[in-house]
Amino acid sequence: MVTEMMVLLAKVVFIFALCIGAVPFCVWFERRGSAWMQGRLGPNRLGPFGLFQLVADMIKFFFKESFIPQNSHKFLYLLAPAIALVPPMAAIASIPFCSEIHLVNLNVGVLLILAFTGLEIYPIILSGWASNNKYSMLGALRASSQLISYEISMSMALLSMLLVYGTFDLTEIIRYQQEHHWGVLLNPLAALIFWVATYAETNRLPFDLAEGDSEIVAGYHLEYGAMKFAIFFMSEYVAMIMVSAFLVTLFFGGYALLPGMSWVVSASGKAFLLPVFELFSFFLKVAFFMFLFVWVRWSLPRFRFDQLMHLGWNILFPLSLANLLLMGAVAYFLR
Amino acid sequence: MSTGNIKTTNVSRPYTWKERLYLLTIPKGFLVTLRYFIRGFFLRKSNTISYPEERRNYSERFRGMHFISLDENKLENCTACYLCQTVCPAKCITITAEERDPKENPVGVAKEKRPKAFDIDALRCCFCGMCEEACPKDAIKMSRNYELAVHTREMAMYDLKHLSREVKNRG
Amino acid sequence: MDLSNTDTTKTKTKAPQQITIDGQSLSFTPGETIMQVAERAGISKRIAHFCYHPSLSIAGTCRMCAVEVEKVAKLMTSCSTPATNGMVVYTNSEKVKASRNGVMEFLLANHPLDCPVCDQAGECSLQEYNYEYGPSTSRFGDSEEKRVFENATTLKLSPLITLNMNRCIHCERCVRFCAEITETHELLMVNRGHHKELTLADPSKGLTSDYQGCLADVCPVGALTFNDFRFKKRVWFLKQHPSICDGCSRGCNIEVHSEDDIVYRYTPRFNQEINKHWMCDEGRLSYHRGHDKNRIVAPYFEGHECEWHTLLADFTKSLKSSKSALVVFTTDATSEEVATLTSLLPQLHKGGPINFRYISSTPDENPNENQDENQDQLLRRKDKTPNRQGVASKLSPISEADFQSFNDLVIIFKGSTSKLPRLAFSSSKHLYLWGVFLLEDLENIRASNPNIRGVLPGVHTLEKSGSYTNCDGITQTFTAAIRPPKLCVPVERILSKILTTVTAEGEAK
Repeated sequence: MVTEMMVLLAKVVFIFALCIGAVPFCVWFERRGSAWMQGRLGPNRLGPFGLFQLVADMIKFFFKESFIPQNSHKFLYLLAPAIALVPPMAAIASIPFCSEIHLVNLNVGVLLILAFTGLEIYPIILSGWASNNKYSMLGALRASSQLISYEISMSMALLSMLLVYGTFDLTEIIRYQQEHHWGVLLNPLAALIFWVATYAETNRLPFDLAEGDSEIVAGYHLEYGAMKFAIFFMSEYVAMIMVSAFLVTLFFGGYALLPGMSWVVSASGKAFLLPVFELFSFFLKVAFFMFLFVWVRWSLPRFRFDQLMHLGWNILFPLSLANLLLMGAVAYFLR
Repeated sequence: MSTGNIKTTNVSRPYTWKERLYLLTIPKGFLVTLRYFIRGFFLRKSNTISYPEERRNYSERFRGMHFISLDENKLENCTACYLCQTVCPAKCITITAEERDPKENPVGVAKEKRPKAFDIDALRCCFCGMCEEACPKDAIKMSRNYELAVHTREMAMYDLKHLSREVKNRG
Repeated sequence: MDLSNTDTTKTKTKAPQQITIDGQSLSFTPGETIMQVAERAGISKRIAHFCYHPSLSIAGTCRMCAVEVEKVAKLMTSCSTPATNGMVVYTNSEKVKASRNGVMEFLLANHPLDCPVCDQAGECSLQEYNYEYGPSTSRFGDSEEKRVFENATTLKLSPLITLNMNRCIHCERCVRFCAEITETHELLMVNRGHHKELTLADPSKGLTSDYQGCLADVCPVGALTFNDFRFKKRVWFLKQHPSICDGCSRGCNIEVHSEDDIVYRYTPRFNQEINKHWMCDEGRLSYHRGHDKNRIVAPYFEGHECEWHTLLADFTKSLKSSKSALVVFTTDATSEEVATLTSLLPQLHKGGPINFRYISSTPDENPNENQDENQDQLLRRKDKTPNRQGVASKLSPISEADFQSFNDLVIIFKGSTSKLPRLAFSSSKHLYLWGVFLLEDLENIRASNPNIRGVLPGVHTLEKSGSYTNCDGITQTFTAAIRPPKLCVPVERILSKILTTVTAEGEAK
């Protein structure tokens, strides 16, 4: 019992440390990657490849003045960053990282993740409201309407896949994909819809209207500085990691080994290598989608809000509905 | 109007549904950023000039901070004729003239007038170079020095002592 | 009586004498030269000239004014050729232009290229004519040395005038000025041709006349420059404004040259009846007094600077409460100021009699009095205030009795920058000073009357408009040439402020 607890604790620490520790590298890659895409250099002065820039940034965040706007709602203003990290971290807990590391093995894991991604809007709404600033409020409202619009398409794309997999259990879903094909090959349209929706979920470009620097300055976190801002910043990256991991699990086989790896494992004949390679494949897949986040950001311009709504309701929603009906029919007749 | 071989597209026309899918243009855009990413990430190439170590090589005609040239006797060439002050569109030059002490002149030189004060407010200057053009004595010239950052506004007021320099070319 | 002679006179008067200049038909009186006719018609600008000056004798040395006259083979100098009936003159024909070009080339052969240094640049005849008619290039190479007068490059002829002989074009205007106007014969030309040089008649004495500034004025180039203005400002920055000199009772017509409300010099303005083309050095330098550092430019109340409203409230109260008041004008107040104050102050002063007097430091002058250091026959007058006649025509002079009989309030009004006359107070008075005062004036007054209650800073001649009546009874008006210091205000503004306050108070009651 104690050993089990210790192992579980070690797993918890490992996953959380991995996610939080990945954030600075994501930020570093965001900055240097954007620089490379624009023919610039990016931060390259501190340490090897400019990696210590992150340390400098963190030190700065720690030592900046932490102020509270005079006419804000003090409690909610402080509550918003305090809970910002909770939903993405909680959602990550139910994603299997490899066959050995799966913190919360629920048979309704998909629903849990959906529930927590829905909660992600709360810190944003709270901060927008509590800041008592029109730009923050506008940013929060934009974020919430955007979340609702895209959550529907996202859920329906997900639903179409659940018809195929026939389970809510993420481990089962991965096993199904290992045995048959990756979800993306079974239903590429659902994968595309889901992928687009993740950008809206995380308020990333081209859907970063909640921040919309050109119109509403910085949106919901306009009135936040120092560590409070840093937490919002971190939660955005943790959310990105989380949705990438979810996307990988649903459509790209989760921790299923990449082609060629199974041969290496069986050739070596060492069983303990399997979870290591599984973790490695999972990491590579997630990293690819993290790269896509950066790539998309610097390739596509931001949508106007009406265009965002048009895309969400007039295109993605009917498309995902049609996809759901089609998959339902296919699943019914093939069973 | 002839546009020659340049293909032009009327961007204000309504787009066709094909165009509105952006099926071709989006991948094109992605390829551009990817190309640059590879260029920067693998080939380590960038268009940036790492400023303190590298300097941009401006043209010979670049107009930087002014200076007042000195003659072979280390006397300023300026005779305080006020032509630069007259022509300056930004009104950044302020001159006060005075009679030059004849004893100050080296043998064989008969300079009558000298600037008692010659102030340039570099914050007002628009670096048009008209002072340089107006100067009958080639006294005020513009160097290629573009590093004009100062700590206070007062430091951007350059006086005769700051401006006087013995220069071979446009240093 | 010679009959034939009478006949010719008759025909002359019957048929008016006509001359045609550039197609313009002009009448003239016999004896006038072409230049004078052109000048009268206001077209003398068309005839380029250096040595001709309307107030000096005709020399004909520069040859620049040569014009083409029909039926005359050669060009005629317009300054010295008398106009005759039916004469047809062309001032701008090709022949004339070629002649001017030639004259300019000769002059520029030796004229130094130091316009950047030269103070005349911008108002230099040589510069202007060269721009218009002169050759744009020189036929002399760089190797040719120009003539240099080593000893007279910057020669101080006097504390007021500097000579640069290299720039001289030998028009001899200065020599004629000294000979004809001041009759001092201080300057003369020596040697001939290439070596012709301007020198002092007596180098040990230098220039001594009181009209040296006019030498710099008549000099068409920068050979003679006025030291007070030398290198102070380039002339193209200056704003010209016609005004009247308040340096003495002559009232010379002047042009005030200023930039940003700082006066840099006076130049004489032509007025045939008063000063012709001239003015004295004393008057020329009098602009310095307007910029005196010790001038009181802020309201002053009981030994301290104060706000205008504080001072005016006290001033109004003193006026109302006084039983008998005395207002003393100095003779540099304008006639308008005297009229305004004499008509409006009694309305404010309801307590008793208010009396207006004027004070002058010089006794009534006799125009034919002998010359002394302060006065001469040409322009300078002993009375160094500009409006004695104007003030005296309205007021009576102050007497010792006046100071004694008026006990409780004395206002001294001083209109401009002239020296304050000595005020003899036999007893301490409640005293207000109004107008242009220096700190020294305050000290001087304090010596006899320590009770100076307030000073109302006013404006001087250059800062206000008004009129002066000069020693010959000629009344001249002028307008403000520069803006006064921020807190110095003209009389009418102070009075209107007081009157509106008093009226408002009256209505409130």
